[in-house]
Amino acid sequence: MIGKVRELAKEWLTTKKVDAIFGLRKQNNDVAPYLFTDVKELKDLVLSIDNRICFTVRPSKQNIVHLIQKNSPDMKIGIIARGCDERALIELAKRFQIDLEKIEILGVACTNKDAEECLCPIPYPKTIIIGEKAEGVSLDKIKNVESLLGKTLEEKAAFWKEQLSKCIKCYGCRNVCPMCICKECKLEEDLWVKSGELPPDFPMYHFIRFYHMADRCIECGQCEKACPAGIPLLTISKLVRKDVKELFDYEAGKDVEQESPLVTTLDETPLKEEAKDVAV
Amino acid sequence: MKGGKIDQVSNNGFEPKIVGFLCNWCSYAGADLAGTARLKYPANLRVIRVMCSGRVSPEFVVKALRAGADGVMVLGCHIGDCHYQAGNHRAAKRIAILRRLLNYMGIDPRRVRLEWVSASEAQRFTKIVKEFTDDMKALGPNPMKKVKV
Repeated sequence: MIGKVRELAKEWLTTKKVDAIFGLRKQNNDVAPYLFTDVKELKDLVLSIDNRICFTVRPSKQNIVHLIQKNSPDMKIGIIARGCDERALIELAKRFQIDLEKIEILGVACTNKDAEECLCPIPYPKTIIIGEKAEGVSLDKIKNVESLLGKTLEEKAAFWKEQLSKCIKCYGCRNVCPMCICKECKLEEDLWVKSGELPPDFPMYHFIRFYHMADRCIECGQCEKACPAGIPLLTISKLVRKDVKELFDYEAGKDVEQESPLVTTLDETPLKEEAKDVAV
Repeated sequence: MKGGKIDQVSNNGFEPKIVGFLCNWCSYAGADLAGTARLKYPANLRVIRVMCSGRVSPEFVVKALRAGADGVMVLGCHIGDCHYQAGNHRAAKRIAILRRLLNYMGIDPRRVRLEWVSASEAQRFTKIVKEFTDDMKALGPNPMKKVKV
């Protein structure tokens, strides 16, 4: 697959379809995002599928695509994107972080095995250029979700207290998230999360993250992979995403025209009355 | 138990602490009217006046629960009556997500309630406060509040 991607990237660059290709570069076993402008460099291009911890769209605190476009607004960039990368790009464009018109997406589909490792529900971009559409993993097939939903309130609280007490507050989950775009972050404010307190007070730190991601989580799973303590963060993020779909019929990363229900009125995006009650 | 009323059980005279976020334009005025009309309602409620129910971010609710509240009420204007057009629309959406998220984290969503109370609905205000206080009495003390050492 990587051969095909390199070939296509080369073609796009030589035919001037794009001015640069944004992807991952592997040098001396280190993988990092890189903007390829020279065809000769493409031999070091690798795919995020094979280097899962490194996500193409957001591997640093400030979004790289945003920074590139800020510096060179006229540059046409080709971005090698999996399903999750593409969802992130759509969601970022919706929030005025990037300009999709200057971006050409080189869509790469993941295999079923990849999807299972990532617990990915939609392992392919909208337009697949390389690879074939594979089946995603549905929510009811995920063990963590199933076991959480089978718990009573007390058991859930005990489970999360134990899990979240492992947190070392490295902010990895936040830093790696492609959708964390605020310049000011509540997780850095003493009012909500006291500095120097370890583990962070239950449940505020993680609650804030889960809630703030409610209408934007694209289920890339980077937070869970980045967590050095192995906290199953995706379990709740996935459930909340499902809820937002149930309540508002909204899915983050699906359509750049569809506004988040949390910034629209009830007339624009109604709240489904029948879905409002919570089963305890 | 799903939806419905909470079973009434005696809880050894437990008096819950309830934090209420009341919007300045409707609910606070409604509560004020209850006062001037000398209507009785439980003294368990501690009122925090906010300019709009849309001002209440979910962090406020969680912080209140953590800091010692047994229940949190968010009261705002009826839909269509918001002083800021759509502040209560946002509150409605946020609280809906919040309650589900709390449930996943093991915090009883019944401890959070959103209601609309207009400036003239003193009766409705007292009824809601009474109902919610009874519910919290039945649920018992909030297990997630921080115990002072």
